[in-house]
Amino acid sequence: MTSSSAASRKALSKIACNRLQKELVEWQVNPPAGFKHKVTDNLQRWVIEVIGAPGTLYANEKYQLQVDFPEHYPMEAPQVIFLHPAPLHPHIYSNGHICLDILYDSWSPAMTVSSVCISILSMLSSSTAKQRPPDNDRYVRNCRNGRSPKETRWWFHDDKV
Amino acid sequence: MGSEEDMHDANDVQSVEDDFYTGETGMGSEDDDYNFGDNYSDDSEDVTSHRQQQNYTILSEADIRQHQGENINRVSTVLSIPRYAACILLRHYNWSISRVHDEWFADEEHVRKAVGLLERTVELSNARELTCGICFENYPCGRMSSASCGHPFCGACWRGYISTSVSDGPGCLMLRCPDPSCGAAVGQNMIDVLTTSEDKEKYSRYLLRSYVEDNRKIKWCPAPGCEFAVEFVIGSGSYDVCCSCSYSFCWNCAEEAHRPVDCATVAKWILKNSAESENMNWILANSKPCPKCKRPIEKNQGCMHITCTPPCKFEFCWLCLGPWSEHGERTGGFYACNRYEAAKQEGAYDESERRREMAKNSLERYTHYYERWATNQSSRQKALADLHSMQTEKLEKLSDTQSQPESQLKFIIEAWLQIVECRRVLKWTYAYGFYLPEHEHAKRQFFEYLQGEAESGLERLHQCAEKELQVYLDAEGPMADFNDFRTKLAGLTSVTKNYFENLVRALETGLKDVGTSNNQATCSKGSSSKSLGNKSKSGKIKAVAGSSSGSGAPSRSFDDGNLWSCDRCTYANPRSTTTCQMCEHHK
Repeated sequence: MTSSSAASRKALSKIACNRLQKELVEWQVNPPAGFKHKVTDNLQRWVIEVIGAPGTLYANEKYQLQVDFPEHYPMEAPQVIFLHPAPLHPHIYSNGHICLDILYDSWSPAMTVSSVCISILSMLSSSTAKQRPPDNDRYVRNCRNGRSPKETRWWFHDDKV
Repeated sequence: MGSEEDMHDANDVQSVEDDFYTGETGMGSEDDDYNFGDNYSDDSEDVTSHRQQQNYTILSEADIRQHQGENINRVSTVLSIPRYAACILLRHYNWSISRVHDEWFADEEHVRKAVGLLERTVELSNARELTCGICFENYPCGRMSSASCGHPFCGACWRGYISTSVSDGPGCLMLRCPDPSCGAAVGQNMIDVLTTSEDKEKYSRYLLRSYVEDNRKIKWCPAPGCEFAVEFVIGSGSYDVCCSCSYSFCWNCAEEAHRPVDCATVAKWILKNSAESENMNWILANSKPCPKCKRPIEKNQGCMHITCTPPCKFEFCWLCLGPWSEHGERTGGFYACNRYEAAKQEGAYDESERRREMAKNSLERYTHYYERWATNQSSRQKALADLHSMQTEKLEKLSDTQSQPESQLKFIIEAWLQIVECRRVLKWTYAYGFYLPEHEHAKRQFFEYLQGEAESGLERLHQCAEKELQVYLDAEGPMADFNDFRTKLAGLTSVTKNYFENLVRALETGLKDVGTSNNQATCSKGSSSKSLGNKSKSGKIKAVAGSSSGSGAPSRSFDDGNLWSCDRCTYANPRSTTTCQMCEHHK
């Protein structure tokens, strides 16, 4: 679905390559609990398996995150979405887009894939109801042509979940 | 999201906005603002602003930078903090020195936390090598920098971080340490050391703009391309300001200057115009069929006296389409084309009136006022162009043909300046008239009387400056009666000025003199007639308004034996006087 927009993206800068290689090495030495990186030869797109934390609504469920890196990573945020099927969550749309501030306005270059993964898992874990965001249908309809979630003007309603 | 600082900011903006639009009332809080201490009043005036009793100061870019620098120095000295920190604080509190002081001395810890100024600076670790928190490379500690929190980042990453933020917009003024767990502020001192000259320049531009845009006392001049800002002394009366670029605007609402009409009326009027009149605009203001030969006529001169092209040559009034020859007679010796009521009574709107429904009626009423508003607007544009051509070429030519030094022709420029200003005021009085409640008969009558007097005075002046002057411009050589022309035009200029001052004063006091004269029971308010103030004018006008309101007839009723109309300026004077109270012409 988003492959077209990812393919048209510019290749990683040298700075981005260096930093991602370091992140990858660090990940292999010290992977965040509950995540598995599916190794490919594509440094610009990572696919990561998430396992719902025990004792939460998503315990033992498996989902896949797709992380695409822009040319000027980490000055620019990566694009992070869930591959189909996306978990049922009040901040996750059925097309996999995630409403989470650190992926957009609050991104900081000192964050890493690993720290983003931990934030997403914590978002899943604190959910109290398995449901779609109230505006899911409208939002997904508007994104039909493979629009990136980074083009959305997000309104971060709620910092509890 | 929605961190506490953000919430705080939003509230700040809200409260400032509230204060802005309450107008003259509710300025009490503003006074408090100034009370912090005599030495630290927020008014950083420079010497030049003292030249007149102006309630505003025009600031060039250099002035803005200077004021900003002085404010930063002042806060830096008083709080004993570095300049960059003072700058961050001032920006956070919308450049109000007194707010910075108040908040800081009330709860320094809270303020520090809100803006990211750490109490204790953490030095970079003095290990031989440090890891940059962005690219994760190791560098000797000499090549690393950090904000006051000590989180180390390398030069290239700082450059990238700052550059991204600067290209995102004015948010770069609130830059924090890249470490997500840390809120330490990154000030201009670091920007200056860590980034490219291009980004430094952009940052300093945003900082300059912030001093104007976040400051509740300063606004940019809204004229296109103008780079001046205007600092206004809030609560000091009229909002009309004239920028050094010569554009006049209302400091409060940023529309063009609209004294004596208030901002709310202007906003309503502009909204209404945009909704109702997009296509009505040009047609109404610029073209009409000649009332005699029906050929469409485009109005390309300023005054309302129109002469159709030959062979028709019919002379008529642009506003009422009646023959010009009847103006002054049929209308009872007075110009009456400003009045909607008069037009209706005369039957001009009769046919439609009967056929159309209420809704149409209101559109018609609106059209009446809109048309006059728009016509005066275009008349003013034309007058501005005429003034310009007068200044740039015609005056010189006139000086040649009439053998007059240019210094002796200043009265012509003064006449045109007066016309331009009067067209502006007159235009806005039509918006005022539209919103003046129909049931306030006495006020309406008084208002329309003053407006009519002013307008007819202006028509005479405009015609004289536009058409009569042409004769002297076209002449082959000096003409004997040029001095008479000078006397006439200068006289009309000063008379018209008086009429408009009268009108402006009356509208600004809410036409309240009518209330006192019509209602004997409120005689305790009699002293308010002082507000119209000079000479005995106010008393007399009150008498006029009172006497005509009884009859309820819209036509003027001055020919009742108690008044005489001045030959020169048509002002209605009491029988007991022998010289005109308006222009001092003898009876």
